[in-house]
Amino acid sequence: MKENMNLVSAGAAVVRRNKRYIVWFYLLNLAFAHFGASAFSDAAHSILDNSLYADKLLHGFNLGVFMEMLMRPEFGALPSATHPAMMFAVVFFLTSLVFMPGVLLGYASDHRLPRDEFFRACGRNVWRFARLFVFFAIIAGVVGGILFGALNALVMMADKTSNERLPFFTQLAGTLIILLILTVVRIWFDLAQTEVVLRDQPAVRKAVTAGFRKTWRNLGRLLGSYVAIASVALLVLVVGIWLWHAIVPPSSVLGAFIIGQVMMLLLLAMRFWQRATAVAFYVKEMIEPVVEERVVAAFIAPVVS
Amino acid sequence: MCSRLSVVVCLLVASLAVSASAQTGAAAGLAIPTTTSAINSATPLSQRVVAYDMDAKYNAKAHSLDATETLTYHNLTGQPLDTFPFHLYLNAFEPTATWVREGKREATRGQDFEKWDPKNYGSEEIKSFEVVGQGDFTNQLQFIHPDDENKDDRTVVQVHLPKPIPRDGYVQFKIKFHDQFPETLERTGWNRDFVLGGQWFPKVGVWWHGAWNCHQFHAYTEFFADFGVYDVKLTVPQYEVVGASGIEVSSVDNPDGTKTVAYHGDDIHDFAWTASPHYLIYNDTFQSSMGPVKLRIMMQPAHWGQAERHALIAKQTMERFDRWYGPYPYKTLTIVDPDPGSQAFGMEYPTFITAGTNWFMPKGALLPEQVVEHEFGHQYWYGMVATNEFEDAWMDEGINQYTEAKVMDSIFGPSTSTINLWGITAGEENEDRLFYERVAALDPLAKNGWQYADNNSYGGITYGKTALILLTLESVIGEDTMRQAMHTYFLRYRFASPTKEDFLKTIEEVSGKDLRWYFNQAVYGTQVLDFEVLKISSVPVEWYKDDLQEKKGVTEYVNNVWIHRKEDFVMPVDIEIKFDNGDKVREHWDGQDRWVRYAYQKKAKIESVEVDPDHKIYFDRNNFNNSRTEEPNGAPARKLANYWTCIGQFFAQMLAWWLV
Repeated sequence: MKENMNLVSAGAAVVRRNKRYIVWFYLLNLAFAHFGASAFSDAAHSILDNSLYADKLLHGFNLGVFMEMLMRPEFGALPSATHPAMMFAVVFFLTSLVFMPGVLLGYASDHRLPRDEFFRACGRNVWRFARLFVFFAIIAGVVGGILFGALNALVMMADKTSNERLPFFTQLAGTLIILLILTVVRIWFDLAQTEVVLRDQPAVRKAVTAGFRKTWRNLGRLLGSYVAIASVALLVLVVGIWLWHAIVPPSSVLGAFIIGQVMMLLLLAMRFWQRATAVAFYVKEMIEPVVEERVVAAFIAPVVS
Repeated sequence: MCSRLSVVVCLLVASLAVSASAQTGAAAGLAIPTTTSAINSATPLSQRVVAYDMDAKYNAKAHSLDATETLTYHNLTGQPLDTFPFHLYLNAFEPTATWVREGKREATRGQDFEKWDPKNYGSEEIKSFEVVGQGDFTNQLQFIHPDDENKDDRTVVQVHLPKPIPRDGYVQFKIKFHDQFPETLERTGWNRDFVLGGQWFPKVGVWWHGAWNCHQFHAYTEFFADFGVYDVKLTVPQYEVVGASGIEVSSVDNPDGTKTVAYHGDDIHDFAWTASPHYLIYNDTFQSSMGPVKLRIMMQPAHWGQAERHALIAKQTMERFDRWYGPYPYKTLTIVDPDPGSQAFGMEYPTFITAGTNWFMPKGALLPEQVVEHEFGHQYWYGMVATNEFEDAWMDEGINQYTEAKVMDSIFGPSTSTINLWGITAGEENEDRLFYERVAALDPLAKNGWQYADNNSYGGITYGKTALILLTLESVIGEDTMRQAMHTYFLRYRFASPTKEDFLKTIEEVSGKDLRWYFNQAVYGTQVLDFEVLKISSVPVEWYKDDLQEKKGVTEYVNNVWIHRKEDFVMPVDIEIKFDNGDKVREHWDGQDRWVRYAYQKKAKIESVEVDPDHKIYFDRNNFNNSRTEEPNGAPARKLANYWTCIGQFFAQMLAWWLV
């Protein structure tokens, strides 16, 4: 437990030292989401701006009026609002994929990483990260597919009993277990990505193997850390939504914006905290068993060359 | 033309006929019982046409039932009858039946029949059919198809008698039948160890307006039957908890591990029952103006915590119906919380309704209240005012939807009568508008239920549109007058089967207004209403002066407002114009022309214009264009865009969280 706390604290310290990454990613996240919402926003403005009926959406949230707005022909088909949001979500994912190597290098560094080193790390690792993503997608897809398939079968069996709560709780418990297992897969690939960046490892398969080995040997510590941070993220979400409901007046657009964005910023920080924890773990692992100079040579030399 | 002599002859012939028919009935010893043990009345309340005496044994393992039915029919048609049609509703659940074909054409009540599951099968086989005094007709029964050409539909069977039943005479049918229940379809059948027996026995058609009215079972339609007396014995395993229409008369344990529970119902036109080993019973009483009503609420164990919610809304609803429309005369009301996952929720039978809830139902989610209210309302608009649900679905579902809005709004508030949860709200009006808007111009109210364009149109028009046009009618005749009209309609037509004109004429009579202009469009037509504020303009009177300095309160403007009737429903409407100096002007437009323009010369500019400022018109298809402000207010759209942005951010973060 204490080890877990140390790891989580070490991760937190890394995140604190490198807050700028979170800010940049948050701004990207906000910008992309803003673009993704522009079609929705334009359609809503065209219907609501000059209508007194829109008050029912400002001073409260009347679900019926909202649905009426969505059903108006001038609003357009719903996919015209949802597709841009999904597209920009994918863009954010790809951006994260491209820039994450720089972040990982920054997290491993004890000084502020110069901009050129950051981008060089990104460029050097972009194709490796793409291959890692493919590996991850295959493994997580297979594991998730099998587990969710089994869960569905379990839920269907539970559905046949006369205990009405059983299917729901089966689904809930099963989903939590699957998420835990997928978190293990995520840790594995987080470590593989760290290995690729810090060791400048071109052989992605070797990195995947190394990541697996490290994850397997330290499963309790790593999983405990990740779950602890994910629990904080959940808490952020729940408290944020509660505050939004409890203290922000329905008509306060600015208040809703601020609390929503604080929530999104903190949520993003949680994932960076996990990544920082993985890096802290990796660095510690590398330092402990190996001679110090070798380690330094191994993960600093290639990057700055 | 009718001379005194002819009157005398008519009376003589009539008295002879009555005498002869009385002898016909008396000779056979037949009569419809005049019992009143199930109602809070010393005398029968309806003109009783039928008496069903049934003895049914339910096989819980096979989900089947074997029964004998003795039906006594009183011929009050005014003419001899030699043909009798019977509904065999459970035969609708055969893959070639009209009900399934229509369901296959488009999903109905959640069942889209992607593939036919043997568990969907339902059937009703007549094993023997005897007409007392005339012999066995088992082999002479003929399936008929009054509504379509589907020869494979077996939901209506007809028997032709060699000896006609004279007017005012009686006939008795003795029928043995076997039911196979489907896994719940159309609110009847089994689910796990639960069963709901609805539309489960051969039921004679209704002689209505000079002909038999006995339609096939359709995907969207419901039922129609004559009032009478029901005595039903149900034999089920002893572990079952049973509930049914009417009052429980006795319950006897049998040596073979079964029990026989007997029920009696007076002045009802259908009989349904349910059995499950899991029900928990919550008893309560409502004091109606005709006497006490025993509430028997049969809850699923996981919903036991919601039993009081069910009882409370039932009593609140009954109190309002009693006060607004008239008394509930029956001694019992059974509310069934059906097996979760079954398709037996939200259904009405006389003195017996099914509710609908879930184990997780926060108090602000008013689904259980809504369903109980709605189904209880059917005790009036279907149960007592027994309209023809095949042909005038709007008269039971729609009128009931209207009274649901009145009752729910009065209890929970107009904007929060369906959802009031975590800042999210919606009222009955919103729900009805959503039903209606998608299908506004597809079908009129006055249409046979099975001939609607599709399931959405049936729902949107019969439920949504009816509620909205009746709510709007209040703005034409006044809310109190409308309530008085509903009260008169109920008292006049309870225990009868009124037509649409009976209803409409009652409203006209009570309001003292000719409302044909409204009914022709709203009930018989497909006209749609959509007013819009087309444009507004405020131009300085001295616009031509180069040195004009506009100053609030000093500069004089020519203000113009254009109101446009976009669609074809013609209706008068009020319009409110607000000026930037605080002045308000109200106009009343008869709505006859396509548009109207109002002009005002004032030392003020128009701030906003609103059509129907008191929000009395509920079925305007687009409420957003009913008003227009001079200055745009982007706050509502920004608020929604904020939400959308946050959802987009969250989605993007989750994608990146898991994949990178």
